[in-house]
Amino acid sequence: MNTILQWCDAVLSNEIWFYLLTTVLKLVLIFAVILAFVVLSVWIERRVAGWIQDRPGPNRAGIPLFLLKRFGSKEKQPLKNILHFFGIPEDCWIARLCKWLRLEGEIPTFGLMQPCLDGGKLFLKQELTPKYVRKVYFTIAPMLVLGPPMVAAAVIPFASTVNTCYGEISMCVANLGIGPLWIFAISGLSVYGLSLAGWSSNSKYPFLGGLRASAQLISYEVAMGLSIIPLLMMFGTLNLQDIVQYQATNGWTLLPFWGEGLTIQRWAMYAPIAISFVIFVTCVFAEANRTPFDMAECETDLVGGYHTEYSSMKFASFFMGEYAAMVIGSALVVTLFFGGWSIGFGADAALSAWCEWVAVLCQFLMFLIKLVAFIFFFVWVRWTLPRFRWDQVMKLGWLVFLEVAVANIFLAAAILYYIQ
Amino acid sequence: MESAISSILFYVFAVAAVLCAFGVVAFRNPVSSAMNMALCFGFTAAVYFGMGAQFLGIVQLIVYAGAILVLFLFIIMMLDVKAEEHARRSFPLACIAVIIAGIFAGFVTKVAISLPGATSGECPALVLCESIGDLAPGAVEQDTAAKNHTPYGAAMPELSPAAAAIELGADEATAAKATAFPDTKLLGKSLFTKYNIPFVILSFALLAGTVGAVALGRKLRKN
Repeated sequence: MNTILQWCDAVLSNEIWFYLLTTVLKLVLIFAVILAFVVLSVWIERRVAGWIQDRPGPNRAGIPLFLLKRFGSKEKQPLKNILHFFGIPEDCWIARLCKWLRLEGEIPTFGLMQPCLDGGKLFLKQELTPKYVRKVYFTIAPMLVLGPPMVAAAVIPFASTVNTCYGEISMCVANLGIGPLWIFAISGLSVYGLSLAGWSSNSKYPFLGGLRASAQLISYEVAMGLSIIPLLMMFGTLNLQDIVQYQATNGWTLLPFWGEGLTIQRWAMYAPIAISFVIFVTCVFAEANRTPFDMAECETDLVGGYHTEYSSMKFASFFMGEYAAMVIGSALVVTLFFGGWSIGFGADAALSAWCEWVAVLCQFLMFLIKLVAFIFFFVWVRWTLPRFRWDQVMKLGWLVFLEVAVANIFLAAAILYYIQ
Repeated sequence: MESAISSILFYVFAVAAVLCAFGVVAFRNPVSSAMNMALCFGFTAAVYFGMGAQFLGIVQLIVYAGAILVLFLFIIMMLDVKAEEHARRSFPLACIAVIIAGIFAGFVTKVAISLPGATSGECPALVLCESIGDLAPGAVEQDTAAKNHTPYGAAMPELSPAAAAIELGADEATAAKATAFPDTKLLGKSLFTKYNIPFVILSFALLAGTVGAVALGRKLRKN
């Protein structure tokens, strides 16, 4: 035992091994979070859609209790049997809590099993590759859509820094000095997937979908990049970990209510930041190809858009890629505008001073909560607004957002220069 | 160890970039050529990353791979790709292309070979400073710091992340912690101070291109 501990100590004391091990751990964690959130956001989407449209949504896929023969089927009141099995009286608070949670029937999963079962279904479906497609590009296109959001997640900080006895761990896979640019560059590459899918399908509707996708993504990338410049002027850095640290001490960008962010300059900066927020969030919608901007796959005029010819898991890859892009977009919005992992209410520094690991855990949870909230917002918008027309999308991108974003930069510069 | 890894990665990425560049010319299918070009840009960006020039690398990805090449692809996809695949290449055209490419390669090789320290593999700037210090003892003071002088006798700025951070206005404590060059800030500073006029002139050239494109588009629509 002692030898093993000594060996672990020796390995961790080596700087390179320590760095490698922590990085791999963080990589696995962030990858798991993204994949879990892809599944979760599918569920949120369908449940919220049901809620908005006043119908239940997918709530039936649960863990059927007849598998647990001992407790009997739904009709035989398994809850009673379970309570009896553990010797709990039927009118105590545990039983009442179970009844309040509607546990009498089956183990409630609130439909959470639905995305998993959908995934299984898509795995088992027959995969059909039409004869007239260009095979190589037809195969790599779904990979090119699903891959970039996963890589882009590397720079998003999900908690602050921890000091261990072996060294400092920054809770972010790659602490690059160019954070947001990395995300723009890598998620911009998914346009190859969309346009290649459209082209290689060798049929009309997918082709039109691919063309629309590439035109739309390029147009909105310009406005997206320009819209965050006022923020970067204020932060003075491109490192996402530093940006979140700045917000933790000076107040969140969009809610500067605590910390040292209550100066006149900061309140004056609120106007350009609010404009930035509106433009940036809209561009994230466009980049993630979500309604009201899902021109590339809008079924009313393009059948299914670029993925018309796809089936089975290849289709599911497009689907997952879209949701992964949405998760990354939400994470970036949260990081830039809502303080990232920062807990707020000035609690970060105090908690870090008390116990760094607890602070990191709380910050991670806070980050996830904010992420879920923003994903909910995405879904809410999708089921509230109708789809734009194609020319309206292009007009909004080039004639409104680009100009407003450029003007916004000058406004922010003037405020930073004149109001001290 | 770190430098060994980075030089191995440099050779891997450099060779891959050159192979992809060959692929651009060798493939018959224009879409394959374009995708090879995208890969080539990606590997070039990786080389930049390896040299610590993160900003240049990411700009390479955003501008070339993410925007310009997508527009290429956009146009290529509207071509009749089948016809392009079966098209024959004319021999004289290929000869002219080879000659032009050869001349260009010769230029680059000549410049690379004639750099000071090219044969010994040292940093050209350092070698130049040393040789100046040796040849002209009167021009530069003969002290141990001779290395730190430019050929013009001025003191050469210290090259370290901390020094760069101090130059950009950081205080000593934060500068001492710096491990990487603040390359974005350094690039921005030199673009907007020392090279401001060429920068502005270049952007006017881009503006002219945009105006020209709009003018062409307008004309087409009228007809």
